Amino acid sequence: MAVLDIRDVSKTFGSVHAVQRFNLTVADGELVCLLGPSGSGKSTLLRMIGGFETASGGQITIDGEHVTRIPPEKRPTGMVFQSHALWTHMNVFRNLAFGLKLRRLPRDEIRRRVEAVLDQVGLAGYGQRMTHQLSGGQQQRVALARSLVLEPKILLLDEPFASLDQHLRERLREEVRDLQQRLGITTLFVTHGQDEALALADRIVVMRDGRTEQIDPPDMVYRAPATPFVAGFIGSMNLIDGAVQNGAFHHAGFTLAVPVADGPAILAVRPEALDIVQASAAGAAHVHRVTDFGAHAIVDIELGDGVRLKSQVPDARLWKAGMAIDLQPRAFAVYRDDVAIHRADRA
Amino acid sequence: MPASDIVGRARGRVPTGLLLVAPPVALVCWMIIWPIFSAIARTLWLPDPEGGRQLSVATYTFFFTDSYSLNNLAITLWTTGVCAAFLLPICLSIALYLRFADGKLAAYVQGLAIFPMFVPSIILSYALIRVLGPNGTVDLLLNSVGLPKINTPYLTPWGPVIGLVWDNIPITVLILLSGLGAVSDQSIEAARDVGANRRSVFWHIILPRITNSILVAISFTVLGIFSAFTLPYVLGPAAPEMMGPFMQRTFRDLNDPTTAITQAVITFCFCIAFGIFYVRSVAKNRKA
Repeated sequence: MAVLDIRDVSKTFGSVHAVQRFNLTVADGELVCLLGPSGSGKSTLLRMIGGFETASGGQITIDGEHVTRIPPEKRPTGMVFQSHALWTHMNVFRNLAFGLKLRRLPRDEIRRRVEAVLDQVGLAGYGQRMTHQLSGGQQQRVALARSLVLEPKILLLDEPFASLDQHLRERLREEVRDLQQRLGITTLFVTHGQDEALALADRIVVMRDGRTEQIDPPDMVYRAPATPFVAGFIGSMNLIDGAVQNGAFHHAGFTLAVPVADGPAILAVRPEALDIVQASAAGAAHVHRVTDFGAHAIVDIELGDGVRLKSQVPDARLWKAGMAIDLQPRAFAVYRDDVAIHRADRA
Repeated sequence: MPASDIVGRARGRVPTGLLLVAPPVALVCWMIIWPIFSAIARTLWLPDPEGGRQLSVATYTFFFTDSYSLNNLAITLWTTGVCAAFLLPICLSIALYLRFADGKLAAYVQGLAIFPMFVPSIILSYALIRVLGPNGTVDLLLNSVGLPKINTPYLTPWGPVIGLVWDNIPITVLILLSGLGAVSDQSIEAARDVGANRRSVFWHIILPRITNSILVAISFTVLGIFSAFTLPYVLGPAAPEMMGPFMQRTFRDLNDPTTAITQAVITFCFCIAFGIFYVRSVAKNRKA
């Protein structure tokens, strides 16, 4: 297995900076998810690691060997593409055997390795099927097997489940995680789905406009987002623009004590960390709508200036539209100039 | 809505649909199918000395025993084969370049490749005579630097080959380009990812995916070249000559319509053989 090291890697397309001075070290056997909205540069970065794009600057090393200028066919990486990219004129066996034949392996060895990998991805006996005879999930498994059969040092997955339905996606990502852990292969996984990243990754790299916003394990990214962007991008988050004055955050009648210097600030509170209580008088907000999901309910809250927040409550029956309420955040963060300046957890 | 109404409406559409396709079908029958059968009948059902008509293969026997006719057929097959052999690598190279290249140069190359489509054959013929003919542009350029004249291809079998290749580049490039459009970038990248170099990618990934397009391109060009007239007539030799000019001369100069029709039927048989080969190959590839 291998260590991937990315140092100050940049990529520009004309005047567009797709990736800007990106740094990351992926440990042996680690699974790192590159997460970000469309256009954040995550696929471009993956393609640079795979050799399909040439970095404008910086260097990429795999196990200490510089691969920045090496063409894709000579890199020790294996890539799984979003559209599967199977060769439809070949059957499953030939799709998997193609790379091995190029390496001039003996026929028996090719057969043994292809059958072993097909077995690993749960497609034993599918070798003679044409790719169009397979379901979307099976096609994606073939694409994964095609990369794994070559035993790459680094496995690159570019939104591999994007074209699959939700149920299949969840099942496949569990299978990929199991397989990755069993093989101990160093893996980089690109996704714009936060659930996928949270469920799969050892570490998540949140990207925005070609830059790194945060690199941390999933629980840290969720519980301690480094920037308001990460806070808003991962999970559901209430972001309230306001100002701190005399040790309290203020926004349209809502006040919260925070031990930070005066100035503009953004308060971030997750719905599950925002408690609400019935107000004895006018209250800081009122209930706009209650949506019951059975196990829990979401209360839509409207502040005095019309700003909407969400609170997750255990029982929908306690809350009615129009009810005056007060807000009691249990865990929250305060951001200023894109940096967290205070965190609190009163749980 | 009652089921009977739906059926009634569906039935009402049938005559409308048939009426829409009737004019082109009738035109094809009148202009193509009928002349074919008429030509075959006229070359097999010949006048006899008693003033009647009798079944005979005399005109075909004459064609296949006459060395001049056979030479003309051979030069037509040779020209067609040589043109196809030149067209495929030239146009495949251009199409591959256009498929994978970006930028201004690719746009210029595409413009140049498509340009012959807008040049009438007769203009092209005279342009080639002015360039490659005796004392043409090439000779003048060579002469200006003290080099000897070229052996001009004008009025040799290579004259029509050069003209027909140039004339057929646009359609061949367009057909191949449309085939290459079906080969996704990701399938090529996947091949490179597993270790394929450019030659392997072309041989194992691209070529099998554009086999149908190659067959279509070859069939179109072969059919067009086999029955070409203007370019072989203006640029080609007087003897042997390609089937197009041969038919015209037999009909007009020798005033022998039956023999001319026989030559047309034989030409048609070769073309239909190419057509059957193309249809069978495409069907076989689709099945696979």
